[in-house]
Amino acid sequence: MNTIRVNQDIRLSEGFSEYVIDSERDLELTLSGEGKCQALFRIKHAKSLRLRGYTADDSEMSVLFWNESTDPLVSDESFEVNERAHLSVAYGECEAAETRRKIYVALRRPYAFAEVHSATLAANRKEYRMNVVNFAPHTTGEMNNYAVVLNQGRLMIDAIGTIVKGAKGAKSHQTSRALSFESGQRSTILPELLIDENDVEASHAMSIGRVDDEQLYYLMSRGLTMPQCTALISAGYLLPVADVIDNEEVRNVLKAELERKLSAL
Amino acid sequence: MKTLKIENLHVEVEGKEILKGVNLTVNEGEVHALMGPNGNGKSTLLAAIMGHPNYKVTEGSIEFDGQNVLEMTVDERSRAGLFLAMQYPQEIPGVTNSDFMRAAMNVRRESPIPLFTFIKSMEKTIRDLEMKEDLAHRFLNEGFSGGEKKRNEIVQMELLKPDLAMLDELDSGLDVDALHIVAKAINEMRKEYPLSLIVVSHYERFYELIEPQFVHVLVDGVIAVEGDAGLARRIDEEGYDWIYKEYEIQPASEAAAVRAPIRLDACAVSQKAQGKR
Repeated sequence: MNTIRVNQDIRLSEGFSEYVIDSERDLELTLSGEGKCQALFRIKHAKSLRLRGYTADDSEMSVLFWNESTDPLVSDESFEVNERAHLSVAYGECEAAETRRKIYVALRRPYAFAEVHSATLAANRKEYRMNVVNFAPHTTGEMNNYAVVLNQGRLMIDAIGTIVKGAKGAKSHQTSRALSFESGQRSTILPELLIDENDVEASHAMSIGRVDDEQLYYLMSRGLTMPQCTALISAGYLLPVADVIDNEEVRNVLKAELERKLSAL
Repeated sequence: MKTLKIENLHVEVEGKEILKGVNLTVNEGEVHALMGPNGNGKSTLLAAIMGHPNYKVTEGSIEFDGQNVLEMTVDERSRAGLFLAMQYPQEIPGVTNSDFMRAAMNVRRESPIPLFTFIKSMEKTIRDLEMKEDLAHRFLNEGFSGGEKKRNEIVQMELLKPDLAMLDELDSGLDVDALHIVAKAINEMRKEYPLSLIVVSHYERFYELIEPQFVHVLVDGVIAVEGDAGLARRIDEEGYDWIYKEYEIQPASEAAAVRAPIRLDACAVSQKAQGKR
């Protein structure tokens, strides 16, 4: 495991690697990778984070940012995805601290693919502004946001899929879901598609709502208490974010961490 | 002796009285069949016993094993030994059968069930009910056929080992083979310990397999007729008309019955599950 305390150029090597971001200062990082690389970034502490990512032609990069910081975090990230490259970038947000993220993904060259996935347990203000732009033909952008909004939580997701003129055969899809267990929570999700080309595929799906009473009744009728039901449903909602890392051991560790957090609610 | 005792039970759903004074006693190890035309209170009675929040008890009492059931929450009723195999089991995307069952078994124990023990008992139950091996890892009832959902109710029942199980039209959606599998599993449980049952079914075929000692016919919110297994056979052959005539009663019209609301399924985890990962 590597600890990042100062500005760095990180070059991901083939396979899985794990980093811890732990710094008292504003950090600037660049991230690049070739071949098939996967990385888990545990954010222990950072005042603000500025990250530039670059995915080379034909490469496959998967990164998961697991925010463990108990202090507010401001993050500004951009990624360039090149020809036939595949980028998966995921965010796990389960701490009570406030987070503001700005994410920009440029699908720069033909057949580039990018997926942005977030899983948020919101007990405070959690804000995402993401824009995935199809600049080239036959590029694909996907955004999948899942959030469980708790008491005092405020969720804001502004998800924009942009397809520029000439990006023929481009695809832009997004799904955002916010779930709460009590009434009176507040979530804002703005799904946007800005399309300047005719030959495209695009979709957006969005839902904000409370857990269905019949589902809760069903789970409780097998003996689970209300907090146990909340934890079980939330885990099911948020855990798929860890699938971005193709490593069962890591996934089990993250799963256990999340479950501990949820069972303490 | 774990006895369920229901006295003068009145239940309202959305302001409409469905049960109008039900009396029923189920002693430990007994099997009771609950029959009656649709919309006359069978499911309402079971839901009221389990504690569905939409079913309001306005009068009467329910006791189980000497405890006042009406004062318990739904989960407390379950932990006290009551189980309802539902007519329409819910689909819960994102929650696997094994996570759910393990959690449900753990709340009944002092210390958590060891993983190995759990896996063994889940595997055995899946085999007993002749379900697909991947059941444990699938999301709870999601994408299950009607028959699979019903069998999964019995998987849960076998793992949780309730003292009193209520089966709400368990046989609807089951083909003949599945019906035998389910009935066999239930009968095996009855051999193991004195399981009490309240069985709602329209079909004599299921009763032949489960063999109730008592049959009750609910008409317009009250138990109008009671008898032994012969009563179920007669209803199977002749329908309910003779009861209306003989006892001078009228069934509640089905159209007026409260139906379960249609729910738009809106969880994206399900899309994820069917998607590329």
